[in-house]
Amino acid sequence: MSAIDADTAAPVLKASDYKSDVKPVWCPGCGDFSVLSAITKALAELGIPPHEAVVASGIGCSSRIPAYTTVYGFHSVHGRALPVASGIKLARPELTVLAAGGDGDGFSIGGNHFIHACRRNVDMTYIVMDNAVYGMTKGQASPTTEPDWTASKLTPDGPGISAFQPLEMALSAGAQFIARGFTANPNTLAHLICQAIRHPGFSLVQVLSPCITYRPEQRAYKNRVHQHFGHPEPATDRREAFARLMDDDGFSLGVLYKGSQPVYQPAPAPSATPEEVAAQFAIC
Amino acid sequence: MDTLGEFLVHAITLEDESAQRFDELADVMEVHHNSEVAGLFQRMAHYSRLHLADIKRQAEGKELPHIPPWELKWPDDEAPETVAHEEGHYLMTAYHALRAALRSERTGHAFYAGVARDTQDPEIRKLASEFAAEEAEHIALLEQWLLKYPPPREGWDEDLDPPAVVD
Repeated sequence: MSAIDADTAAPVLKASDYKSDVKPVWCPGCGDFSVLSAITKALAELGIPPHEAVVASGIGCSSRIPAYTTVYGFHSVHGRALPVASGIKLARPELTVLAAGGDGDGFSIGGNHFIHACRRNVDMTYIVMDNAVYGMTKGQASPTTEPDWTASKLTPDGPGISAFQPLEMALSAGAQFIARGFTANPNTLAHLICQAIRHPGFSLVQVLSPCITYRPEQRAYKNRVHQHFGHPEPATDRREAFARLMDDDGFSLGVLYKGSQPVYQPAPAPSATPEEVAAQFAIC
Repeated sequence: MDTLGEFLVHAITLEDESAQRFDELADVMEVHHNSEVAGLFQRMAHYSRLHLADIKRQAEGKELPHIPPWELKWPDDEAPETVAHEEGHYLMTAYHALRAALRSERTGHAFYAGVARDTQDPEIRKLASEFAAEEAEHIALLEQWLLKYPPPREGWDEDLDPPAVVD
């Protein structure tokens, strides 16, 4: 603990300094509010000035999050949060780069980018607000929806196919920090995000973020979550992490895995003026 | 609670987070055109800020430690007087808003009463008892207020055309 200003009882930067004046249009009760709160608390705790951080997102309810922060933001196209975030980090390695979005954006439309972002191991943090439904388009099955979920008129008998397993995929593909949080525990989630940002390489934080409008039964998540993937310390060995995932019921919380593979960060390319770049494309 | 500074950090955080959450709830109700409930949450935020200002005055001149949010000693993950996000609903009524506020005040009261009961420090006990008494007043006020708002009919949250975010 360090001494601080008695007037504020907080470090120099407060979580509220990272919240913009834009009012979220999420439904009241949405778990994404807690993720916004956790991100802002994490950035404040790490003391990262807003102009030294970026949040890139794709499309979906949760992908609106850059607008609700004061850090740089890039609300990109569907499924493309990760290539945009990778480009930002490679071009501006001094920035703290976060990518954020939902399970549909990240694991379906952007599924291939997810695999290769894990494989590339660029130093950034990917926060997936997983509600197992496409909320923005009024409640269709997503990649992480249970096969027997019958509440959508598009899949009245349930999707009938196994749910995507993001942590298994991330571990297989090479992510170096893998964790799962829950929106009813926003302070613990802030801690997970802090650790993810600090860890070198590609970090995934899957956040169980209930959609109370289209999946009201997810309010019961709070009765199902439990800690630690069966062990209080993260695995540092992939084989051990896979073994823990085999016993995971989808509601284990905490850090699953911390790896130490080298980060991909090529040396910066020589700079050029806009005129020099344009000259390369000139038609003679 | 080991020190007065630690207790004051908890009290300041409790009121600050409570006020911020009421603000968020007020904003989202406004966005969803539920102006009656938005107004109620704005009033709650105002009251939390008054209490926050009072505690900050008591903390003036004292050295307060910095404690990361996840190391604060709350009974649950969040500060006790913070209304859970999941209590919000775009069709909620004044009755629900006041019930949520009442629950938050009761958890705040239980927190301060617990500190007053358990601490060995007489200064912390005195302050925690004062804060618990203030929370008890708020609880009584909310209980009175709630008498004006009977529970809504069953099915209040049914909506054949629920909201969608459109980019």
